[in-house]
Amino acid sequence: MLADEAREIDLIACQQCDALYNEPGLATGQKAECGRCGATLFEHKVNSIERTFALSIAGLTLLTPAIILPIMGITLAGQYHEASLLDSIRQLIAKGYFLIATLVFMFAIAVPAVRLMGAFYISYCFKFNKINPFLLNFFRAYHQLDSWSMLNVFLLGIIVSMYKLLDDTKLSVDYGLLAFVLLLICSTMVSVTLDQHHIWQKLEKECVDANG
Amino acid sequence: MQTAKQMGLGVCPECYKVNTMSARRQRCRRCSNVFYQRKPNSLQYTLAWTIAALICFVPANLYPIMIVYSLGVPEASTILSGIGTFIDYGLYPLAVVIFTASIIVPILKIIGLIFLVSKVKAGIRLTAEKHTKFYHVLEFLGPWSMLDVFVVALMVAVVELGFVSTIEVGPAINYFTLTVIFTMIAAISFDPRLLWDDNNNTDNNV
Repeated sequence: MLADEAREIDLIACQQCDALYNEPGLATGQKAECGRCGATLFEHKVNSIERTFALSIAGLTLLTPAIILPIMGITLAGQYHEASLLDSIRQLIAKGYFLIATLVFMFAIAVPAVRLMGAFYISYCFKFNKINPFLLNFFRAYHQLDSWSMLNVFLLGIIVSMYKLLDDTKLSVDYGLLAFVLLLICSTMVSVTLDQHHIWQKLEKECVDANG
Repeated sequence: MQTAKQMGLGVCPECYKVNTMSARRQRCRRCSNVFYQRKPNSLQYTLAWTIAALICFVPANLYPIMIVYSLGVPEASTILSGIGTFIDYGLYPLAVVIFTASIIVPILKIIGLIFLVSKVKAGIRLTAEKHTKFYHVLEFLGPWSMLDVFVVALMVAVVELGFVSTIEVGPAINYFTLTVIFTMIAAISFDPRLLWDDNNNTDNNV
């Protein structure tokens, strides 16, 4: 067992093609790429914890306005009606499309929200030295949400619907859209700044080695 | 070039730690996730989800996705007839965006995944690098197909003007969403390392 652990400690393998390397030491801001398939092995990111902490707070603040504030409104034949992200989900439920309502809620609200909260909690624990073994499971779960956040697709959806509605109605844009765009920026930046390699290494040092 | 598999090692898919494989199912020494050296039955799962996506894609295109009521008169439109309407009105950029997201991307994903599975099965892996890049493109494009679903969801909520104009959702939206979800799960089920596995033998011989 001990020999196994000694053998694997400095090794790193490419996720995409399984090529095996000795872990290179990287200076801040550098990135290691696989020599065979070109995938990124890992990065040493600049000020990862501080940046993630700041961006996740900003993102969490923007979450409520982005969901509740109306995104756009239309005027037709003297009538005015506006809708927010939450309204569109409420309408889908009212019309009986529960599957779609659930999925829109998951991809456009729940997953981005949970990811921001997760990034906030992890960067908070790292920033204030409150690292505990629970974080191992927590960060593992966090990692699984990556492919299911669809804020960017939803923004394109907003743009397309505006283009469509512009044709025969008077369209007005509301603060909800501004909040949504800023939320998208924060959420994207968080996944850019969060240094997974660093977090895993530190968690291993503090939680796994301490027990074993 | 040596691979982790040749050395009896496996990478944890969650935390990327290299572990010595002491059994077929290995518990990661870092994050205690249970994993395999390669995703088990990866090709079968990928193919199964892809076929499910293909089946759902048929009703997704046959049923209407949106029904517009203006002054009480209903007008149903499918995904394709909606794109046709945009072309009639001269909204070409919109037609291109919707056509790409709703038709080209799902079809490309379905054909592409079947192609990748057949490549691994057939054992012809001379250009593993290109195939890996192709797989990444498929993985990246997946979520963008949800575009039409989000557009319909928004339009239904915004256009709510009583008798003047309202929009109803059509049954195609369920099937279309399932197509998108199934292709995404199919792409996740695929293990790109399978594209490289046999190459190593030829490398060693040279």
